[in-house]
Amino acid sequence: MNIATLLEMAADAFGDRVAIGSRDDGLSFEGLRRAARAIADRVVDSGALHLALIEPNAPIVPASLFGAAWAGVSYAPLNYKLPDAALQELLARLEPAVVGGTNWVDPKSASDRTFPEAPQHPAVVLFTSGTSAAPKAALLQHDQLLAYVFNTVEFGSAGADEASLMAAPPFHIAGVAALLTATYSGRRLVPVPGVRFSAEEWIEIAQRESITHAFLVPTMLGRIVEIMTADPDARVPSLRNLVYGGARMPAPVLERALELFPETDFVNAYGLTETSSTVALLGPDDHRLAMYSDDPVWTARLSSVGQPIPGIEVRIVDEAGVDVGIDVPGEIQIRGDQVSGEYADTEAKVDAEGWLHTGDRGWLDVDGYLFCEGRADDTIIRGGENIGPAEIEDTLLTHDAVSSACVVGVPDEEWGERIVAAVTLRPGVDEIDVEHLRDWVRDRIGSLKTPEEIEVRDELPQTATGKILRRQVKSELTDN
Amino acid sequence: MANLMGKRYTCGVCEATVLVTKPGDGEMSCHGQPMEVAQAKPLPSSD
Repeated sequence: MNIATLLEMAADAFGDRVAIGSRDDGLSFEGLRRAARAIADRVVDSGALHLALIEPNAPIVPASLFGAAWAGVSYAPLNYKLPDAALQELLARLEPAVVGGTNWVDPKSASDRTFPEAPQHPAVVLFTSGTSAAPKAALLQHDQLLAYVFNTVEFGSAGADEASLMAAPPFHIAGVAALLTATYSGRRLVPVPGVRFSAEEWIEIAQRESITHAFLVPTMLGRIVEIMTADPDARVPSLRNLVYGGARMPAPVLERALELFPETDFVNAYGLTETSSTVALLGPDDHRLAMYSDDPVWTARLSSVGQPIPGIEVRIVDEAGVDVGIDVPGEIQIRGDQVSGEYADTEAKVDAEGWLHTGDRGWLDVDGYLFCEGRADDTIIRGGENIGPAEIEDTLLTHDAVSSACVVGVPDEEWGERIVAAVTLRPGVDEIDVEHLRDWVRDRIGSLKTPEEIEVRDELPQTATGKILRRQVKSELTDN
Repeated sequence: MANLMGKRYTCGVCEATVLVTKPGDGEMSCHGQPMEVAQAKPLPSSD
């Protein structure tokens, strides 16, 4: 099948509904289909096998995704914040490619082009964020993306009043998945314009457009929470569903957000580019039980990523590849129809039995709730003890003065590795006694997990979606 | 029997799945028997 089917069905069934933009003057599903056909005409004429796009969220984004599908070629959204040289390098890897432009959106096109039912090329090529290495070109096939859509969404299930605010950038898997599920469910998309995320702007648009659904990465939610805490008028009562994911959510930010959005259903979505988006989720009821239950099993689940979605199997294996059962940490492996694990340029990360080796470290509890500790490579080995940086970072973040934290292992003659933290301070906090901060951590999680050194920074290097570039922090701290 | 758009049908014998992309009349059958409607588990929005 072809993902273009999703738009074809939406345009046939509710073509007058707004697909993207404001309720009054947005682009309808019928307009989006016409725009997609017109883009397909251009792409086919060019002879390209990739339609690259270097634009922030706007109507050209869904029009290009579906336009490429209509042409039977791959859609490759690129990070518009990259320097020119890096973009040229990625474009060279996509040859023969054509780059789309915002003036390509033609909602009145009379093109009657049909799409191939069995496309020969991947639907989407996404360059992974590369927090630990150079970006890899992940390939997502039509059937993999469709498996995610069909397993999680009913056709036309969105109410006419629903609207989703698109803050995830188009080159992130969450940005791609949102286009597909919004189209299939019939939910209006509202792009957050501009290249840089602004929490003020997000709140302002959410209020103006009566936004009901949103996806945020933790850093974005953190900034929104800061503004809402300072300004009692900064509220979004229309918001029914808030999905967060893309990186680890600091517990203090989540707890504050749950208080500030009392009527909103929270969903923690865990997924990788290579799994066509979400494979496990912690749903609204899980959040409420975790917040209000006295049972430590439930309370702990607030830091889990929930249970696998339909069609997905999750297992935890040790270094020998043996399933370790419950409550034991190891590598997270994932299997299902939506799982790709294929790349344009390197070996696939899927084994002969279809298991994707994620490189993420985690464990499953007795009811199958998945806890993700982060990248296996990030584990600090100090004096033979395996220490996950996440718990230490979370503890640093519970301190009022700390705004972001990154904990890494730095080579040490005596211990193998020693624990070093880099932190940034909240606006208005000029300095902090590092010894006091170390005491703060020691009192809460013990001396074994207390950073030997803490460095205060003005900022920490991040990807476009707010993942801290751990590898860069580590090399800077190692060189010091 | 009307086939509503967006309904999915599965065969009880083989792995065939059918998605209705254009509504119409008639009955879906595979391996000589009517196909069953596949229900997606209701999930909160996940992206």
